Amino acid sequence: MNTFIFVALPYLVLALLFLVTIYRYLTNRLTWSAYSTELLERRLLYWGSNPWHYGIIPLLLFHLVPFLFPGLAAGFLGNQQTLLVLESLGLGLALLALLGILILTLRRVNTAMLKRSTYFSDWLILFLLLVQVGSGVYIAVALRWGSLWYLHAAVPYFWSIWSANPQPEYLADLPAVVKVHAACAFLILGVLPFTKLVHLLYLPIDFLKDQPILYRWRGRE
Amino acid sequence: MDVRAQIVMAFHLDKCIGCHTCSLACKNIWSDRRGTEYMWWNNVETRPGVGYPRGWEDQERYRGGGVAEGKNVNLKSMGKGRTLASLFFQPNLPRIEDYYEPFDYDYGNLAGAPEGDDQPVARALSQVSGQPIEHIQGSANWDDDLGGSRLYAASDPNLPDAAIVESYATMFMQYLPRICNHCLHPSCVASCPSRALYKRGEDGVVLVDQNTCRGWRFCISACPYKKVYFNWKSGKAEKCIFCYPRVETGQVNACAQSCVGRIRFVGVLLYDADGVAEALLQKDADLVEATRALILDPKDREVQKAAAKNGVSEQWIEAAIGSPVYALVKEFRLALPLHPEFRTMPMTYYIPSLSPVLSTMGDTYRLMEKGTISLPETLRVPVDYLARLLAGGNRGIVEEVMRKLYAVRVFMRGENLGQPADPAILQQAGLDREGALRLYRLFTIAGFNERNVIPPQQREGQTPELRKQEAGFGILQRVKSERNDLTRRGGKDD
Repeated sequence: MNTFIFVALPYLVLALLFLVTIYRYLTNRLTWSAYSTELLERRLLYWGSNPWHYGIIPLLLFHLVPFLFPGLAAGFLGNQQTLLVLESLGLGLALLALLGILILTLRRVNTAMLKRSTYFSDWLILFLLLVQVGSGVYIAVALRWGSLWYLHAAVPYFWSIWSANPQPEYLADLPAVVKVHAACAFLILGVLPFTKLVHLLYLPIDFLKDQPILYRWRGRE
Repeated sequence: MDVRAQIVMAFHLDKCIGCHTCSLACKNIWSDRRGTEYMWWNNVETRPGVGYPRGWEDQERYRGGGVAEGKNVNLKSMGKGRTLASLFFQPNLPRIEDYYEPFDYDYGNLAGAPEGDDQPVARALSQVSGQPIEHIQGSANWDDDLGGSRLYAASDPNLPDAAIVESYATMFMQYLPRICNHCLHPSCVASCPSRALYKRGEDGVVLVDQNTCRGWRFCISACPYKKVYFNWKSGKAEKCIFCYPRVETGQVNACAQSCVGRIRFVGVLLYDADGVAEALLQKDADLVEATRALILDPKDREVQKAAAKNGVSEQWIEAAIGSPVYALVKEFRLALPLHPEFRTMPMTYYIPSLSPVLSTMGDTYRLMEKGTISLPETLRVPVDYLARLLAGGNRGIVEEVMRKLYAVRVFMRGENLGQPADPAILQQAGLDREGALRLYRLFTIAGFNERNVIPPQQREGQTPELRKQEAGFGILQRVKSERNDLTRRGGKDD
C-alpha cells in the first residue's frame, strides 16, 4: 500500500499532469476556463468562492515554500513563536477553506439553475477537495506542529520523488489520515488536467504591465 | 497622425419600426447555441424603457465604461490590483435575471400528454435549468412598446422628468436598436486580465479570442453597453463580431442585411488613433465634438498618405470617401454616438428620431402653419432626453440635428408640391440644396450599395503560394467548444 501511495501514484500523477496538460493546451484550449457560474447564482458563490480561494491559495503556498526553500523554512520554524503563529494561521485558513468548499458543495447540490452546467468532474473535484481540506483540518488539530514535521518528513520525501530516487520510508509510518491527505493530494493533481482545475495553472498577470487597449494586426507580431 | 480605418454602422432611428428582424437574423446565425440562449448581440429596445439587460445605463450599479481621472481615462470598475483580488467573485457582474431566464415551451406535451379531461398545455421551461417556469419574468424586449409604463419607461435614467411618460398628452416612444459599438477605446478590452479581447488593427472590430479567454468575467461588467455576454455553457465571454466572416467577404452584417426599415448604413471611417485617449478627457458635453474631430476627411491628401503608410489599402480609402457613414457623422453632423459620456468612444452612430405627427391644435400647429420648423421645446420627444441618450447632455448638438432633419423635410415637401420652400430654411439649418437632396436620397431611395459600402479585405500581402505553404494540409482537428473532459452531461438535454 505504501509503495502504491508513495511511489506509484506520484509518478503516475506527474506523468498525467505534464503530458495531459500539454496535450490539452495544444489541442483543446477552448475548454480552458474556470467555468464560473456567477451569472446563474451569485449570493452563495460570494460566501463560498471567496473564503475558499483566500483560504486555499495561502495554504498551497505554505505547502510549497518548504519544498522549494527548505533552509529558509527551517529558519522560520525553528523559532517557537513563529511556529505557533504559523500553525494558528494555517488552521484558521484551513477552516476558512473548509467553510468555503462546504458552501460551494451545498450550492451545487441545491441550486436548480446549476444543474445543466454541473458535470461529473465538478462533483469529483468537490469531493476530493472536501476530503483534502477535511483531512488537513483534522491533521492540524490532532497532529500538532505539522509545519515542522512536514518539513522534516514530507519535504525530503518530495525531493526523493523529484530526484527519481523514491524513499517512501519518510512517510510510511505516519498515521492513516496523513496517508489519506497525501493520496488525495496526488489524486487532485492527477485529475487536474482533466477538469476545470486547469484554471489554476494560468496566472493572469501579463495585463499588469500592458497598455489598456490591445490591437492585433494580420500578419504582424 | 496615426490614421486607422474603422468599419462603422449608423442607424436612422426615425425609420426603425421595431420589428426585431435584425435581432432574429443575428440570433439565428450567431447565438442559438446552448449557453447563448439569453444573448442578443443585436437587440431592439423601446425607449423610454429600462433596456436589456435591465438598467444597463446605470453605471453606478454595473460600473461600466471609463472615467477621466487627471490625464488618464481609467476603468470605472476597478484598477488592476482589485481586478486580481476579484478573480474569484466579480462584484459588478449582472445576474441572469437582469437579462432574463431564457425559456422554451414544452411543445412535446401537446401531442404526447396522456388522455385526460383537460386540454394539454405547453408549459414554459427554463433553458438554463430545464425546470418549469411558473411565471416568465422577462425577455430581451419585455417592455416592448411600453413607452408609457410606470414600471419600465418611468425608470429610464435619461428622462428629464419621469412624469411625462405617465401623461397621455406628453408620453412618447421610439426604438433603439443596439449592437456592440466596437469602440475606439473599448473598456472590455482594457479590463481583460487574460488579454483575450482585442481590437483588430485593420477594421477596428473588437473580438474575444476564445482560446485565450479564461472566463474571468471582467469584460462583461466593464462594457457600459452590456454587449459582452458570458456563455454559461462554455465558460467564456462572447460578443457581437460585426459579422466579420460576412464583412470580410463583401457581404453586409446580418442585422443590416435583414433590416426591414433600411435604417442601417455601413461604411468606413478614418480616424486619428493618436488623439483618442486625449479626446476622452473632455467634459461630457464636449465628447461628441471631440469624437467628430478625430474622424478624418478621406479626401484629404495628407490623410490618405498617412493612412497608406499605416497599411490602409487603396480600396479602403476609396470606400471611406464613398462612405455613407462619413457623410452622416462628419459631413452633415447628423449621426450621434450612443452615450458618449461612458467614455469608450463608441463607433456606432444614431440619427435621432423626429417627433411623431404634431397635434392639429395648439401651439405646435401654429408653428407648423408658418411653414417653418417647430421649436425644439415643442417636440414630442424631449430634446433633453435625446441629448442625454446621444450627446452627453448637450442640447445644442441635438437641436442642430433636429433643425437639419426638419429643414430637409420642409424643403422636399416644397419640391414635391412645386412650391419651393424658403431657401433661408435650409441655410439656417446649415444645409444647401445639394446636401438636402443627398440626404433625401440616402434616407429614402438609396440602394443597397449606397447604404452599405464595404471594401474588400486586403490580401495582397498574402500571395496564394505563401498562404498555401503556411496552411499546407494541416492537422484536421474537430472544434470542441463544449466541455469534453472527464465529464458527462449533468442534466438531461432538452
